[in-house]
Amino acid sequence: MSNSAIPQIGEKRTDTWSEYLGRVGKKRDQQAFKALFDHFAPLIKGFCLNNTNQSFSSDAAEEVVQEVMLKVWQKAPSYDPSKAAASTWVYTVMRNARIDMMRRNKRHKTDSDPIDVEDLWDEDSDTGPVVQFQKLRDQEVVRDSFRILPVEQRQALTEVYMKGKSHSEVASETGLPLGTVKSRVRMGLQKIEAHLGSRTQKVPL
Amino acid sequence: MINHHPDANMLVEYANGSLPWALCISVAAHLQLCPKCRAQYSQLCSLGGAYLSEAESEPVEDDSFSRLMGRIDANDASANAFALDLSDDPESAKEASSPARELPSKHLPKVIKKLVTDELRWRKIAGPLKAARLATGQDDYEVSFHRIAKGGKVVEHDHKGIEVTLVLEGSFSDKDGVYRRGDFLVREPGQIHRPTATLDQDCLCFSVCEAPVAVTGWLGKVVNPFLSIHPS
Repeated sequence: MSNSAIPQIGEKRTDTWSEYLGRVGKKRDQQAFKALFDHFAPLIKGFCLNNTNQSFSSDAAEEVVQEVMLKVWQKAPSYDPSKAAASTWVYTVMRNARIDMMRRNKRHKTDSDPIDVEDLWDEDSDTGPVVQFQKLRDQEVVRDSFRILPVEQRQALTEVYMKGKSHSEVASETGLPLGTVKSRVRMGLQKIEAHLGSRTQKVPL
Repeated sequence: MINHHPDANMLVEYANGSLPWALCISVAAHLQLCPKCRAQYSQLCSLGGAYLSEAESEPVEDDSFSRLMGRIDANDASANAFALDLSDDPESAKEASSPARELPSKHLPKVIKKLVTDELRWRKIAGPLKAARLATGQDDYEVSFHRIAKGGKVVEHDHKGIEVTLVLEGSFSDKDGVYRRGDFLVREPGQIHRPTATLDQDCLCFSVCEAPVAVTGWLGKVVNPFLSIHPS
């Protein structure tokens, strides 16, 4: 990564990208958007090309980048820096765009579906406080928790997150039993959780 | 107090988008009732964000940004031309898409409320159990409301695939415990059970069923009503 985003653990989210994204949302700031694009577009493209699941061609990955960054522009006004870091928010926008594209491809024409992606992954939901908790558990903390994971747990989480795979897809591709994949993911998450607990104060729910 | 939740693996698949659509509906509905799982879910998303930040960058094409801005400008222009104001009162849009219809409960999670577009067609499945199917644009899973009449015992049955039950109103019990509003239960094939609604009121559940359930009791040999619930 070229640019340095240094999120702080604490009340205010001060990393550059979250600030830029906030500006795009509030002021429709094109310069800030360009900076976000330069940072995230190559990451999104890399993420897609890594996704062996769908064996993206470079062209298709470009298309996903366009799709995701268009959504970022359109949805930025709903971004709330106090709830999520920009990278987390962009991750969810990317995931939703991916699901949308997949559903468009294999949609059943006969059966109707009254709900869409936005209903199922309701990021700016009004269903209650989206937790003080997460604010503290900052990206940087999560990131260095990767370094403390045993190789096999880290690999399992990487397969699941980097490639957007289900546990059974990981199991069939690696030849590992499903139970093993599941427990590696769970144990990895527990370790990260424990690590976070030691680094940050828990805010009671 | 909600005591039964989706496990970490299911939440991960929900967060990374690999969970089947029908199961995502049940997880989303549970999340709307459960602050604890919402917290866990946002943490899983920040992990996703961290992975994205750590992804290997791949340079995009030179004109990528200008093409995008072209699209954005074109969108803005057409939006202006047709005076399509997206921020236009979302409430009225919601109302329009969901005409007045009878809901089985006043306290449905938002996502489930949205699934009820037409009059529900309740069918008697077995004894005290009624079901009403919901259309979700997929046919890998049977998605429906289940209602057990108060005090009713459902015939003992097994499942051929995974079955997720989210309690929406009232409560029911089986040999493993009592389940109340918000409780999220996953039954794997081979977990034979016999749900019984508590005496005070009917129990309404949201159910997502991978394959037809199988009836195991002696009655099952006579009729096999559960097998009539199958994805069509």
